[in-house]
Amino acid sequence: MKKIIISEDDFQKFREFFYRKVGISFENDKRYFVDKRLIERIELTGANDFRDYFIMLRFEASGQELQQLINVMTINETYFFREEYQFKCLVNSILDEITRNKKDTSPIRIWCVPSSSGEEAYSIAIYLLEHWPGMTKWDVEIISSDIDSVMIERAQRGHYSSRSVQYLPATLLTKYFKPSGDGYQICEDLRSSIEFTCVNLMDSVEMRAYRKFDVIFCRNLLIYFDDLSRRLAAETFFDALNPNGFVCLGYSESMSRISSLFRVRKFPEAIVYQKPGVDL
Amino acid sequence: MPFIKKNNPTMDSYEHDCSRDLNELAVQLVDENPVIRRSAALNLAEHQGASEILIDRLKQDRDISVRDAILTTLISLGDTFAVIGLVECLRSEDAALRNEVVDAMKQLPEKVAPIMTSLLVDVNSDVRIFAVNILESLRHLQVETWLDRVIEDDPHINVCATAVDLLGEVGTSTSRAALIHLRSRFPDEPYICFAVNLALKRIGEDKGT
Repeated sequence: MKKIIISEDDFQKFREFFYRKVGISFENDKRYFVDKRLIERIELTGANDFRDYFIMLRFEASGQELQQLINVMTINETYFFREEYQFKCLVNSILDEITRNKKDTSPIRIWCVPSSSGEEAYSIAIYLLEHWPGMTKWDVEIISSDIDSVMIERAQRGHYSSRSVQYLPATLLTKYFKPSGDGYQICEDLRSSIEFTCVNLMDSVEMRAYRKFDVIFCRNLLIYFDDLSRRLAAETFFDALNPNGFVCLGYSESMSRISSLFRVRKFPEAIVYQKPGVDL
Repeated sequence: MPFIKKNNPTMDSYEHDCSRDLNELAVQLVDENPVIRRSAALNLAEHQGASEILIDRLKQDRDISVRDAILTTLISLGDTFAVIGLVECLRSEDAALRNEVVDAMKQLPEKVAPIMTSLLVDVNSDVRIFAVNILESLRHLQVETWLDRVIEDDPHINVCATAVDLLGEVGTSTSRAALIHLRSRFPDEPYICFAVNLALKRIGEDKGT
């Protein structure tokens, strides 16, 4: 079999294309990671070389190969304190701005979607308790939703593997968890603090019930959607947010490439997206 | 803990009785409240015959969020009326609307492909440039062929410049002759010469020559 080689120019060309399509920009230190997966896909699709594969990738009407490539180029796993910089942004920047602008004392509403097995929602709760002084003044409501009812049950159960909690500081592990079987059980207070719901983001009727949120976390989901679904998700988030509310996407995702409905906000800790106020 | 839970998420009052009927949605689409217009626009995705009224509204509505919802539904419907209406909007004086429509048309490759040839020879050079802009991320096998025709035949330098920039990214050796011909058509235009040379260099390097 012919040996497939990804040249420097191929890498640059692919990197530019992938960034424009997906919003993920691979730096040079990811070269080995990218080359390995590209060569796998080139061989699996029967393409002769990078150029053949790239043309197919770019012009394939269904976009199926692009989706396959996205799947292998992204790491689909979740754990406590994943992408912690966004939680820092929440407690250091976002919530202070929200509370400054709030006209009443209604609870701050945070929505996590997809919930998966609950690590993100519980991480936010722990982060708020540990790092946000505003918890003494404000009520907070966290809703965490997923299309997969099995995931929702797991989230409600709150039992996690050692791998899932590996990035939690030991003090927090001790404070909020207790060893249980071959893993850890999250404490009852936290377990009962979060509303877990089963929902399909693409169902406009279901989505009507999801309104008046101040912050939405939707990380590493939209990269798996096609263009129209991403656009529909952006519409859903827009309607679900209060004016001036925020959307936090995964590090590799960009709302600017999906919709012009949101403003880009650059905080010291992260780039997030904001629904404009009353007048767009 | 200062976390609270409600059993039912919040629902705005107008949404409790939000209509799914085409005629009622058509009325809501011109409501003075942009939130209601936006909701109507998104709900019209369930009605195959809704493209015409959506296009009419798209041309008039000044609210970006309503226009965005209308475009999302038009992409979803993707019928002939939607595509014809979007093309009409390319001729709008409203630059923001034109840009929004270009982005929307990029998401309709199979619907846009049959009319691309005529868009690329439109009498209005701005429309031809917008058509090339649509090709920028249109997933279609004809893209290179269309671009080659533009740089072979289009008399307008800005249209050719837009096309050659894109060929620099997506072109293959099949574009080589058209690129060289373009350079000879505009020998005194430094940008065209620069862009053609760059495109040829990229194509040459890709082929290892």
